[in-house]
Amino acid sequence: MKSAKIGTLSVAVVVAAFIAVLLVSDGETGVAVSSPLLGQPAPAIQTTTIDDAPFDLARRKGSWVVFNFFNSTCVPCIAEHPSLIRFAEGESGRPDGVELYTVINDDADDAVRNFFATNDGDWPKLRDNDGAIAVTFGVAKVPETWIIDPNGFVRLRILGAVADGVLEEQIAKLRATEGS
Amino acid sequence: MLTRRRLVWVAIIVVAAGLLAFGAGRDTGPLTQQDRIDTITKRIACPTCDGESIYVSRASASQSIRAEVARQVGDGVRTDDEVVAYIADRFGGEVLLLPRATGVDALIWVLPVVLTVVLVMALWLAFRRWRLASATTTPVQVASPSQRRRSLAIGVVLTVVVGVAGGVLVARQAGQRLPLETSTGGIEDSTASILAQARLAGPSDVKTAIELYSRVLETDPDNVEALTYRAWLVMLSARQFDEALRAQAFASTVTALGRAIQIDPEYPDAMCFLGIVVYRDGGDAASAKEFVDRCIERDPPVQVRGLIDALAKELDAELKP
Repeated sequence: MKSAKIGTLSVAVVVAAFIAVLLVSDGETGVAVSSPLLGQPAPAIQTTTIDDAPFDLARRKGSWVVFNFFNSTCVPCIAEHPSLIRFAEGESGRPDGVELYTVINDDADDAVRNFFATNDGDWPKLRDNDGAIAVTFGVAKVPETWIIDPNGFVRLRILGAVADGVLEEQIAKLRATEGS
Repeated sequence: MLTRRRLVWVAIIVVAAGLLAFGAGRDTGPLTQQDRIDTITKRIACPTCDGESIYVSRASASQSIRAEVARQVGDGVRTDDEVVAYIADRFGGEVLLLPRATGVDALIWVLPVVLTVVLVMALWLAFRRWRLASATTTPVQVASPSQRRRSLAIGVVLTVVVGVAGGVLVARQAGQRLPLETSTGGIEDSTASILAQARLAGPSDVKTAIELYSRVLETDPDNVEALTYRAWLVMLSARQFDEALRAQAFASTVTALGRAIQIDPEYPDAMCFLGIVVYRDGGDAASAKEFVDRCIERDPPVQVRGLIDALAKELDAELKP
C-alpha cells in the first residue's frame, strides 16, 4: 500500500533525524560555542590574584583579555596547559599582547601554585571565591576559555581544552575584525 | 424540604469551609531569605548532573550557583523570577526545571495539548464513520468530494487552533515566564553597557562617546572610567580649536582627571592621561614624569601603555641633567 509505505518512510526519517541530533549535540569540546554574553559588555569582575594583588576587569579595558577557567586536578586542563604556555609566550612578544588570566575553579591556592611551579606559566591566577565568576560567565565545567576585547565586550567562548594554535587563530581573526 | 433557617446554616458552613480551604491552600510565599533561597534553588537544575536540582546537588557548579542565588537574595534587588532568569541566562534554558513558556521551550507545553486534540478529533471522525457505515436501513446522503475536502480543511484548522490555544493556555498557567528574557539574551542596559558603547564609539565618534560618558556620570558622578575618558576626549577634541578654548579644556581636563585619581588612586589610565595632558598641553615635564611613572607602576592596559611608552622616553631625555 502506497500510504503505508509513506507512513513508514516518514517515521524512519523522523527517527533518523532524532538520532542525528543526539549525535551532533553530544558535547564537542575545544570549539567556540554560543553564550548570551557574546557581543555584550563583560560582566564586572573584581577579585584578587593568588598573590593577593587586586584585579578589576574594568581596569583592563584597552587590552585583549583571555580568561581560562581551570582546576589543577582536571585532566583536560592539564592537557591544554602546554598550548596555553605557547600562546602566552607568543603574545608576550607583541606590543598589543593578550593578557592571559587563569580563573581558579573550586581549587586551593596551594594546589594551583604547585601546579604552575611544576608545569610553568607565569600569568596571573585569579581567585573565584564561591564560584561567583564561574556563575557570572555560566561556566559549569572546566576548562573553559573566554576572550574579551579591548573595548570590554565578550567576543568568544571556547568549551573544553584548547588545542594547539586555536587561541592564536581565534585572536588573529578577532584582531582583524577590530582592525587592531 | 429545607427550612429557611437550615438553608442559612448550610450557607454558613459552605462559606466557612470554602474560606478554610482557601486559607489552607493559599501560597503565602517565602517567609525568610532562606525560604526564598530554597524556593529558587528547587527551580534550577544542576548543570553538570542529571535529574537533580541545585537544592539537593552537591556538585561544585551547583554549590556555586546556590552561593550566587544566596548573594542575590541577600542583595534584595532581584525578585525570585529575576534570579532564576539570571541563572538561566548564563547557563541556558536547560537548567530550568519548569520549562519556559516562550520560544522553542513553549512546544513542551503546546504539543501535548495539540496531540490530545488531534487524537480526540481522530477518534470522533472514526466513530462517526463507523456509525454511518452501520446505518444501512436509512439512505445516507453521500457528500461530494469538494464538500469532503472543505470539511477536512475546516476540521484540520479547528484542531490546530484549539490545540495551540489550549497549549498556550496551559503554558500561561504553568510555564515559566522570566522577566529578563529578551530576544537578544536579556542582558540589562546597565552602566557597564553604556561604558562599553562609549568605548566602542570613542575613537571614531568622539561626540557620541562624550555624550555616553556624560550619561553615566548623571547617574554615577564618581564613575572613574567615565570621568577619565570624557576628560581625555574633551582635551583631544579641543586641540583643534583656538588657544582660549584649549586653555578652558585643559583646566577642566586636569580637574576631572585629578578627581578620578582622588576617587581611585590605583587607576592607571587617569594618571597616564594626566601625564600626557600636563606635558603636551601644559608643558610641565617634571609633573608629567611623576604621573607617567605612577601610571606605569600600576600596569596600564595595552592601549594606554602604547600611548605612554614613547612619552616616558621623551620625558627622560628632557629631564636628563
